[in-house]
Amino acid sequence: MKVLRAVSRTKLYWGLLLICLIGALASPHSSSGNNIFLSYGNLTDVLRQVSITGLVATGMTMVILLGGIDLSVGSVMGFSTIICAMLLTKSGWTAASIMGVPAAVAVSFMAVAFLARFVFSGLASGHDETAGRRREIALGRWRGMWIPILLGLAAAVAVAWFTTNQVPTKFGVLGVLLVAPCVALVLGAVNGVLIVAGRLQPFIATLAMMVGALGIARLTAGQDNAVVAVYTGTNATETFEVLRSMLWGVVPMPSVFFLAAIILFGAILRFTAFGRYAYAIGGNIEAAKLSGIKVVQVQLTAYLLSGLLAGIAGVLFVAQYRQGKPDAGAGLELDAIAAVVIGGTSLMGGRGSLAGTFVGVLIFGLLSDILQLQNIDSNVQLVMKGLIIVCTVLVQEQNLGQLVARWRFARRTKTSAEAETAEPTRPPSAAKAQFAREHLDEAS
Amino acid sequence: MKRREFLKLSATMAGAAVTIYMPSAWRPAKAAAKWKVGFSQCTTLEPWRVQFNKDIQAEAKKYPCENLIVQQVNVLLVSPKESAGLTGVVEKALDAKIPVIVLDRNVDTKRITQFIGGDNLAIGRAAGEYAVKLLGGAGKAQGNVVEIWGGMGTQPAHDRHDGFHAFTDKEPGIKYLLNNQSGDWKQDQAYNIMTTALRNNEKIDLIYGHNDPMAYGAYLAAKDAGRDKDIKFILGIDGLPDEGVTWVSKGQLTATFLYATPGAEGLRQAVKLLRGEKLEPVITLPTMLITKDNASDILKKNGLL
Repeated sequence: MKVLRAVSRTKLYWGLLLICLIGALASPHSSSGNNIFLSYGNLTDVLRQVSITGLVATGMTMVILLGGIDLSVGSVMGFSTIICAMLLTKSGWTAASIMGVPAAVAVSFMAVAFLARFVFSGLASGHDETAGRRREIALGRWRGMWIPILLGLAAAVAVAWFTTNQVPTKFGVLGVLLVAPCVALVLGAVNGVLIVAGRLQPFIATLAMMVGALGIARLTAGQDNAVVAVYTGTNATETFEVLRSMLWGVVPMPSVFFLAAIILFGAILRFTAFGRYAYAIGGNIEAAKLSGIKVVQVQLTAYLLSGLLAGIAGVLFVAQYRQGKPDAGAGLELDAIAAVVIGGTSLMGGRGSLAGTFVGVLIFGLLSDILQLQNIDSNVQLVMKGLIIVCTVLVQEQNLGQLVARWRFARRTKTSAEAETAEPTRPPSAAKAQFAREHLDEAS
Repeated sequence: MKRREFLKLSATMAGAAVTIYMPSAWRPAKAAAKWKVGFSQCTTLEPWRVQFNKDIQAEAKKYPCENLIVQQVNVLLVSPKESAGLTGVVEKALDAKIPVIVLDRNVDTKRITQFIGGDNLAIGRAAGEYAVKLLGGAGKAQGNVVEIWGGMGTQPAHDRHDGFHAFTDKEPGIKYLLNNQSGDWKQDQAYNIMTTALRNNEKIDLIYGHNDPMAYGAYLAAKDAGRDKDIKFILGIDGLPDEGVTWVSKGQLTATFLYATPGAEGLRQAVKLLRGEKLEPVITLPTMLITKDNASDILKKNGLL
């Protein structure tokens, strides 16, 4: 039973392994006899291709864990590609820089100020002799308010100086990596505020943003530009190519962002109070509220981060495909949700993990790579992907131990019915209950 | 009264996509706006559609036209996204005795005043013929071909496929490497398809993209894999000045085939109708081969060089 339980708990990873195995066995071979699927180039290609969906799915996991959903990520990413491409290719105060620079300044102020406060309160709680006091009171005026504000202002001034300096020329890599995600974060914050303060259903609020952000992106790009083309070295800085290069010739740059996000937010979800709160809220929001968790803050943060990650994905999209376009992320939200669900996160919230999402994203990516290598018709590919979603979720939802227990229990009751003459004093229902007690305990 | 109401309804429905953008961008002609031409565009997300809008606006400046689609119009120009969707609205307009000129993709009714569009089948054939020529000429053409489909659910993709194969299928030396792989008209999806195709196939001679952005996406994938020099020919379709023609002039695509927007011609025909002339039921816009030889001329004409 122990082995079975271990298998059941890790079945997602076995699924990944199975897909890899199928891929390796079915893979075509190159003329020199190498297995194409297992070649390093192909595997890094897969990692590169899933990075954009993966980043978005990372944010989506946090939102779904809270029992919410973010449909706006695709449009927000599209908006981010437009901002990024325009900043790269157009100098002066265009619509993109007019929106981007203030957004970056505001976000950096807020981020640094809150971070400073967070650090102070963390330090203070270490020395706090009278546990249970509210931290705001414990921190005092200077460390609680003025120092964070001053630090935030300093950061804002630095960012303002850095970005406005880039406006007359075109933006560089660091500039777009700072500004485009900040703009996306602001959209994510709008989502969060609508949901938290406006008490809108996450589905409705983010649906509105999904439609709205597409419109904003098109207005930003302008009537005459459906697509903003980026030619590095010609109309944009050549250093931008860094974002699609291989880091030290080993890992594709987009995947570095993806892996970093998975590790960072995975650790946050697992080891920090924020992570525990997220699970608690997703599990039972009323209980979480009553036990003093600041539900509003956690929810706001999740939507904000989802926007931020979609923004980073947008920059990577521009780097990879050399274009920004409002509909760049069309359908992306559904891919991300599918990956999250395959990864075992419950759409009801409160259950799931980023490790699961990582595997879910990989399963999706590997599957489409295998189908592509097998040269399967695009229409058939769609069918296969639908099947995979259904199958993995079906398997995910079953607890293997319980299944076996149920099966054994069915067999046992059958044999006990045959042996009824030998043991007439024990009614079958009692045997059933007894058996269930013994075995379901063990299985769960 | 009833007719007015109906018109309001049908025109807003048909023109939902552009109503927001058009009025600001399309300034009504100065003094004597004689005619009101309703124009409905299905989407402005694709570069080709944007060019389409530019063309029709440029042409409109030459005539005393006014674009007012929510009021009573003299003639309606409609460009549907797919054939079936707009048929009902178009029929209602025809019932109300408003002439309808359908642009680019047709609707499912024979009653329309005129249809103007490119012939995707003919363009596909032109591409196929050119591909056979590039790969060694009729009867001896040799080569591995990668074809990247447009949206599988759209008629143009099927026409561009069928036309191409009408020529290339006759060549026993031509081998097709991909089996109906659709990039959905998008540069990024074509890039991903090509990345895998490059891993899977060591020798690729010709890439045929059902539009220019996909052909360019495939080129980028080959370039990033360091194999753009191995691939001899890349063909696209559409020939927009700031896309296909630019890429051809840079030598990134071998050639592209013009799929002219019916914007300018549509408005000319509408004006002809309003002046009381009779229209032919169908006008087919011709295609044109764009290679490095004539690309720079086209760019100069469009002020891009």
